[in-house]
Amino acid sequence: MKENIVYFDNSATSWPKPKEVLESIKYFIDEIGGSPGRSGHRMSIEASRLVEETREVIGEFFNYDDTSRIVFTKNITEALNVCIFSLLKPGDHVITSSIEHNSVMRPLRFLEKKGLDISTIYCSPKGDINVSDIEKNINNNTKLVILTHASNVLGTILPIEKVAEITYKYKIPFVIDCAQTAGSIPVNINLKKYKNCIITFTGHKSMLGPTGTGGMCIGEDVELMPIIFGGTGSKSDKDIQPDFLPDYLESGTLNVMGLAGLKAAVSYLLKIGLNNIRNHEKLLLSKFIEGASEIKNVIIYGSKDPETQVGLISFNFKNINSSTAGLILDKKYSIMCRIGLHCNPNAHKVIGTFPEGTIRFSFSYFNSLEEINYSINALNEMSKIK
Amino acid sequence: MMSGVITFYSSQQVMKAEKILKKYNYEELLIPGPREISPNCGVAICFDYNKAEEIKELFKKEKILYENIYYYPEAKKISKWF
Repeated sequence: MKENIVYFDNSATSWPKPKEVLESIKYFIDEIGGSPGRSGHRMSIEASRLVEETREVIGEFFNYDDTSRIVFTKNITEALNVCIFSLLKPGDHVITSSIEHNSVMRPLRFLEKKGLDISTIYCSPKGDINVSDIEKNINNNTKLVILTHASNVLGTILPIEKVAEITYKYKIPFVIDCAQTAGSIPVNINLKKYKNCIITFTGHKSMLGPTGTGGMCIGEDVELMPIIFGGTGSKSDKDIQPDFLPDYLESGTLNVMGLAGLKAAVSYLLKIGLNNIRNHEKLLLSKFIEGASEIKNVIIYGSKDPETQVGLISFNFKNINSSTAGLILDKKYSIMCRIGLHCNPNAHKVIGTFPEGTIRFSFSYFNSLEEINYSINALNEMSKIK
Repeated sequence: MMSGVITFYSSQQVMKAEKILKKYNYEELLIPGPREISPNCGVAICFDYNKAEEIKELFKKEKILYENIYYYPEAKKISKWF
């Protein structure tokens, strides 16, 4: 079944994974097995070593050597929730954008009902924001700025470096949602300088790791609070949560099997080099835009500029709705993609595709130009359906 | 000969400490944390107590957080096994 699959749903979960990922998971299951940070025997110690090595690889990847402040969560949604619920309380003010994913908007809306004040920075249909709008909205009560690094609907890359500078100047925590960028483009935030920033990431998208992995790199000036309390293997004589990182935010046995896979995946990214990955995905995107732009009945959304966009793109047909298109792409052409609202109603309101949604193609290092050409032919045929 | 033990709050710091001690060629062995000394982290590191001051300095330089360093006669028995 896998033979003829064209997988363009990498922004949801990437596939395939580098072969090293499975090998590393298998090695953990077969040879290591133990519980990290709990028991004192060699299998447990080896599991602890594996977890720490994963932190080191993540640290190398994000250019942050303070491994104590690299905390693992089950995905980026959990990391974002920890940040939001740690840093905001009723009466506080938060600044975000109009294209945020529900992993940011839902916790914020929940807190809004309890008295949180939200400023939403306008984002154009191309996906741009005006950075000065952030500074204009800062007030004495602003306790957090939270932004996506790149939109999961449009792919547009936001200028997080400039936002880091502004928030650093005002000493306001800045949380960056790197779900669509980590592993695809560099996250150029120097946490040693911008100590007010937190980079959140997920393992299973462009980082090419397994599902169930994610986390955050926490700048030194930001203090977070757990949303899950429990066993950590440390300070076991006390029934109160230990107050040091990473244990403070890592209750319960970690997903070591997943982290074994993540370690291999990130090592693979470091070996290939983000520049090579970025160039390949950019090439795929530009060829897709070039081909699809010429098809009558296809509308492409966003900036249509591969330089300012990660390797994902939203489009629609004028002659068939997105659900039908998704079905045909799967059943007739074996092209896997995601249709609908992509857990992001706000971005679709910005580009005028709410509530119908769009068809989203998202590419990875493992896709080829041949697959792009094949998909353009498919779109061409589909555009003629009456 | 190993005659001391270093205890830690977090196993994460044990892993960092082990790596540094190996890097500087110190004799070290990870052992189940001695309950009579510290109820904290599950793992502690046995070492040569004569090197205690050097290691304290090293940990300070490398920003390794540990709980305490103890003279630990039991470590001599451990030494005979490994």
